Amino acid sequence: MLSKRTMLAVCLLLVVAGATWLAMRPQPVTDPAPWSAIFPASPDFQFDPPAPGSYALHRIKPAPDGRVLDINGEARTLSDLTRDRISLVSFVYLNCSDVNGCPLAMSTLFDIHDASLQVPGLRDKVQLITLSFDPERDTVEAIRSFAYPVIKDPSAEKKLEWHVLTTANQAALQPILDGYGQVVDRSDDQEKISHLLRMYLVDQNGQIRNIYGLGLIDPRLLMTDVETLLMEGGQS
Amino acid sequence: MNRREFGAFSAAALAMGLPFRAFADETCQSPYMPKITGHEEYVYVWTLGVEGMGDEQDKLVTIDVRAGSDTRGQVINSISVGGRNEAHHGGFSADRRYFWAGGLDTNRIFIFDVHTDPSNPTLHKTIETFVKDSGGVVGPHTFFALPGRMMITGLSNDDDHGGRTALVEYNDDGDYVATYWMPTADDMQGAVAVGDAVADGYGYDVRALIRKNVMLTSSFTGWSNYMMDFGQMLQDGEAMKRFGNTIVQWDLHTRQPKKVFNVPGAPLEIRFPWGPNANYAFSTTALTSQLWLIYEDDAGEWQAKAVADIGNPADIPLPVDISIAADDQTLWINSFMDGKTRLFDISDPHNPSQIYEKVIDRQVNMVSQSWDGERVYFTSSLLANWDKKGEDNAQYLKAYTWNGSELVEDFAVDFNELQLGRAHIMRFGSAALYS
Repeated sequence: MLSKRTMLAVCLLLVVAGATWLAMRPQPVTDPAPWSAIFPASPDFQFDPPAPGSYALHRIKPAPDGRVLDINGEARTLSDLTRDRISLVSFVYLNCSDVNGCPLAMSTLFDIHDASLQVPGLRDKVQLITLSFDPERDTVEAIRSFAYPVIKDPSAEKKLEWHVLTTANQAALQPILDGYGQVVDRSDDQEKISHLLRMYLVDQNGQIRNIYGLGLIDPRLLMTDVETLLMEGGQS
Repeated sequence: MNRREFGAFSAAALAMGLPFRAFADETCQSPYMPKITGHEEYVYVWTLGVEGMGDEQDKLVTIDVRAGSDTRGQVINSISVGGRNEAHHGGFSADRRYFWAGGLDTNRIFIFDVHTDPSNPTLHKTIETFVKDSGGVVGPHTFFALPGRMMITGLSNDDDHGGRTALVEYNDDGDYVATYWMPTADDMQGAVAVGDAVADGYGYDVRALIRKNVMLTSSFTGWSNYMMDFGQMLQDGEAMKRFGNTIVQWDLHTRQPKKVFNVPGAPLEIRFPWGPNANYAFSTTALTSQLWLIYEDDAGEWQAKAVADIGNPADIPLPVDISIAADDQTLWINSFMDGKTRLFDISDPHNPSQIYEKVIDRQVNMVSQSWDGERVYFTSSLLANWDKKGEDNAQYLKAYTWNGSELVEDFAVDFNELQLGRAHIMRFGSAALYS
């Protein structure tokens, strides 16, 4: 059973992310414009995304492997999950109360998840991965609750696959965080975990090709990078 | 809360240093990193070793500036790196756990761990392969943090040791990622020369305005000049022609050059303000002693223009480091030759005016201020072969309090007396940045 604290945290995160998603859900497009055109421009990102394929995304470093647990409690390896697909990888914790942290990442991912419905076949090439960095509280049960709206989405089979994951313990988690370069500071206040918001673009071969921080988590930019990687592989 | 509100909050939080609990540093850091908006605890000084002085090696010197500390105003630690490299600039990684510092002569890059014990940095890694990695870039200068990566400007190249150079990107582990050569008249790489600008391919500083996807680079001079004796160079007509005259606007995301602006006289430091609607940057020219504004016009196009003189340009005061206040209202401008700092009112960025000046010492180079602007620090060295000679070769860190109308000296550390060397770039540290 979930603790009251976890239930409260999950509900809070879902309400914030869901409300944001509803307010800013993508609008359908009918012409073969770049995928970034699916999303409305935001005043926070005062530029037009570049044309997909007009620039290079260099290989920054290999994404680390590691053992994780999915929402059914099954042990998986990150390398198996990311093989042959482009992955947008994010790290969150369910108790996160910094609205500029995890909820911001989640609202962007909800945008992309919903918009993927408009790009037939994208599900076969691209996926979302969200890993908790609070394994003590973000148990399998907790992440299953967190993932409930994704699992129960009537269109889930047509949208991007979204792997919500946790780890068995800190020992399993830390090498993954270190490998990605995701900084997490644990203070005496167990309710808060200080972290730098990061999202990672991992290609089909397990190479990190871009790293996004605050000011860069624009769904238009993320999808432009995804499209660029697919063009690089001749799959767009 | 919708995405717009999210974004606005995020921008505010970013400026405040959230979600990390620690707050701010001086005001000229990469916007990607946590800031110290409270009181800095340590000042790290990347220091050039001097032959015949102390251990003769370049070193990272840590000075205690904690209020109430028994060792406040004193050197509490120093870590030498095993030789002289023409120590110059440095910058923190985006997670602010490591301080990268370069050597303009040997091209070594030293990565110091500043988070395990902020009072006592340790050498974590040395990159010995910068020239080979980058395909011939020489003189690692500015270290500008990007998420998970470090963007490094070069000053020169290993072909002719002139000013043609590039931006070089490494990941936070210290592994090479990519090289982006500056546009030249012969290879504009898709960039457009504005007016009578001639793309010279030179480099110096790099800064970015994220929400506009704009990155700017400036241009100085190559190894053959920055390693030459200053007096000798001034007498060498050909050498004096080998200075940069451009600022380049890049697409931050794609790393592609877009525009080349004519900014004659070696534009050096670049500073963007922090305001959410401030779409401009300042730079100063070393040889022509002017303050320049690079700005977005009403049509959304970026432009460059000179907006003020710094001192009397005919005297060649040689403007060097600058520091913008967190509220974007004032700008400190140091000039090396007359040892002065000048404060400019930049509340109207198109019409800045000087409101204060003070001689710091016989020479001055770098300036860093606290987030609240109340503490201002100065150091002395420009380049080993360009610093003044004899009694005029003052080497120091000086700490001042700015009370709104004048600088009041707090303490000074004499780097000559302590046998440390030539004091160059400063960066702030605080244990409060880390849990």
